[in-house]
Amino acid sequence: MKHKSPAVRLLLLVLIGAVLIIGSGYVDQLRSYQGAQAAIFAIAISSIVLLTGYSGQISLGHGALMAVGGYAAVLCQTHLHIPYPFAFLVGTFAGGVAGFLLGIAAARLRGPYLAGTTLALAVGLPSLANQFHILGGEQGLLFDVGNPPASLGSDFTQYRWFFVVAVIAAILVFWLLRNLLSTRYGRRWRALRANPTAAALSGIKVGKAKVLAFTLSSCVAGLAGSLFAMLLGLVAPLAFTLTLSFTLVTGAVLAGVSNLGGSIVGAVVLVAIPELSNTAAAHFGGSDKVTANLPGVITSVLLIATVLFVPNGPKLPRMKFLARTRQ
Amino acid sequence: MFVQRRTKGGIFAAAVVAAAALVASALPAHAETGVTSSTIKLGVTIPLTGAAAPGYNKIPAAMNAYFSYVNANGGVNGRQIKLVVKDDAYSPAQTLSVTNDLILKDKVFALVGTLGTANNEATTRLVNSQGVPRLFVNTGFSGFADMKKYPTTFPLFPSYATEAKVMGKYLADNFAGHKVALIYQDDDFGMDALKGFSTAGTNFVAKIPYAALSQAQEGVVGTWVQNIIKSGADTVVMFGVTSATGALALGLYKANLIGKVQLILGSVGSDGTTLKGLVGPALTAALAGSIAASFLPSPADATDEYITQFKAINAQYNAGATFDNNVLVGMNTAMLTVQALRAAGTSPTRASLIKAIETKGSTWASAAFSPILYSPTSHVGYTGYWFGKLGLDGNAVSVDGPGKYTLYTTDSGSAPVVKASATRPAMPAKGLPKN
Repeated sequence: MKHKSPAVRLLLLVLIGAVLIIGSGYVDQLRSYQGAQAAIFAIAISSIVLLTGYSGQISLGHGALMAVGGYAAVLCQTHLHIPYPFAFLVGTFAGGVAGFLLGIAAARLRGPYLAGTTLALAVGLPSLANQFHILGGEQGLLFDVGNPPASLGSDFTQYRWFFVVAVIAAILVFWLLRNLLSTRYGRRWRALRANPTAAALSGIKVGKAKVLAFTLSSCVAGLAGSLFAMLLGLVAPLAFTLTLSFTLVTGAVLAGVSNLGGSIVGAVVLVAIPELSNTAAAHFGGSDKVTANLPGVITSVLLIATVLFVPNGPKLPRMKFLARTRQ
Repeated sequence: MFVQRRTKGGIFAAAVVAAAALVASALPAHAETGVTSSTIKLGVTIPLTGAAAPGYNKIPAAMNAYFSYVNANGGVNGRQIKLVVKDDAYSPAQTLSVTNDLILKDKVFALVGTLGTANNEATTRLVNSQGVPRLFVNTGFSGFADMKKYPTTFPLFPSYATEAKVMGKYLADNFAGHKVALIYQDDDFGMDALKGFSTAGTNFVAKIPYAALSQAQEGVVGTWVQNIIKSGADTVVMFGVTSATGALALGLYKANLIGKVQLILGSVGSDGTTLKGLVGPALTAALAGSIAASFLPSPADATDEYITQFKAINAQYNAGATFDNNVLVGMNTAMLTVQALRAAGTSPTRASLIKAIETKGSTWASAAFSPILYSPTSHVGYTGYWFGKLGLDGNAVSVDGPGKYTLYTTDSGSAPVVKASATRPAMPAKGLPKN
């Protein structure tokens, strides 16, 4: 069992980030976009890992919490004209508030009941946008973060800039979460997940610990949502569908739900699936129907295979400094 | 890039154009992205899976059928058209991902008929930064005609505000003294409509808003019907999608009001095939006599030269697909695209394509009974509607009798509604444009 200090972890993460950001100058725009997408997915998946992998609560509604973060960020930027990095903070905070309220209800629920409640949120919340004019209805609200800073040069593409922003955010999130998980809070959540009764008998306030986990997880989801809005250039109910919520859970399972570093793997796999399926479909000369449905098939097969053969996620020795220390 | 050139001084622009022309004439023809000596590659994003797919998923096949027909007859200036179809499941996030693929990986020359308002908004930044022409987008959002924000985008369908103004005029002409109620979707779609009706000065005895998709919820339609009864309305304007029309029909049926109130339907809420699928043939037949606004001819009109020609192409190239409004939209979009590509010249570039649409687009053959208002200063597409009565099969026949159309045209703003007999360019021989 090896412990790394927060400073060492930060240094390692910053190194990885620096390599990624410098490397992004050598790839085309499409890869920059996919990289940004993967970084945002990694943040969103880490919120599920925190919730499910550590505190043992399940959520099928994190897409809706992302929507809360996204809409909050966009509304603040549009109406209060705050610089967009602060809009991300607002998104994070709004996600946390929504998660706190949901967490109070969630702390009383378990298993399928909790899944059902969060599922209802995923179905219902995005359609709220159709009820209030300020939320822009079906066509949503535009979110323009402007061009990359001029000091980076005119060759610096918008997608590369998004990638840089997303990677920096991801590094911060991973560092904070990793540190948090090695404090007493992390240990409490693990105790809770292993056996709530035993945890309660050991003096852990089960309800409080659960609500805290839900709130923090939602903060992270809110941040992911506001970054997602940046990438899309808008928020709209259709951008935060049930499919998004399920995709995140799928990513978490592919990552091994109790493996923070695995979030990155899960995210990369999610981004790579459409790419792979396109290549496969082109190779077999499939029709539009095959091409359209192949990604879903690949995701399902991967999900089933993961649950059957590596339920704790793929083993990743190099990610050890991010992974939960196993006894 | 295009906008910048337009906004700078005329002399400078002329100098740039002249210099560019000199350079271009001195160099061997530079191949434009997506164009080779034998092919032109186009892209479309559309829902092929998910809840929004039924109906819309027929459009790409119809476009491809028309392109195959043109390709079999020599293509466009010797080039074969290749359409890359991408599914976006109606999610803006997925639209952006697959549009990245289309533009950055497949390297298409232009996008054609991309569907959905939020979906097109999500890709605007990419489309603008790469200068990709985006032709005949499949949405009624009038904002896409803003040439500053969307310099390479060409909307085609008339706006909802236009439609409401036209309906207001029709009501004033034909339903003066009637008590009219309005049911509308409580979002931008409905707000556009309210704006149009208010410009037209239409008075309603009741305005009944509903949240998008709530027509499927328990009790919602009941409230509509109660409000209609309470207001004493004898005429109901349904300004929503076809599934809302279907829900209203069922509600009126339960309240025994079918035949007692006159229904007036918006263009997106009156697709006969969809309606029949929703409420069954019996209730569809009971709705006969309802009035519907349209801009394209009815797909069931066997006397229309566009319909008969498209039907023939559909039979040969579209593997037995039923000819409906979606197939018509797909073929009409494809035929306009072929004319745009022809007009873009023998070595088409993205700039020459946009210029061709702006300078010649208003003269092209198209199935709609409406002029197209494309010009160097306007990207507004269709502007007019005709009114029909639903027949027993749910398809509209012109109120003036089969084959005779009165066209109502106006704009999204304050211009008056003009009534005229509809004329449109003739269908090119064999459906093959020779512009």
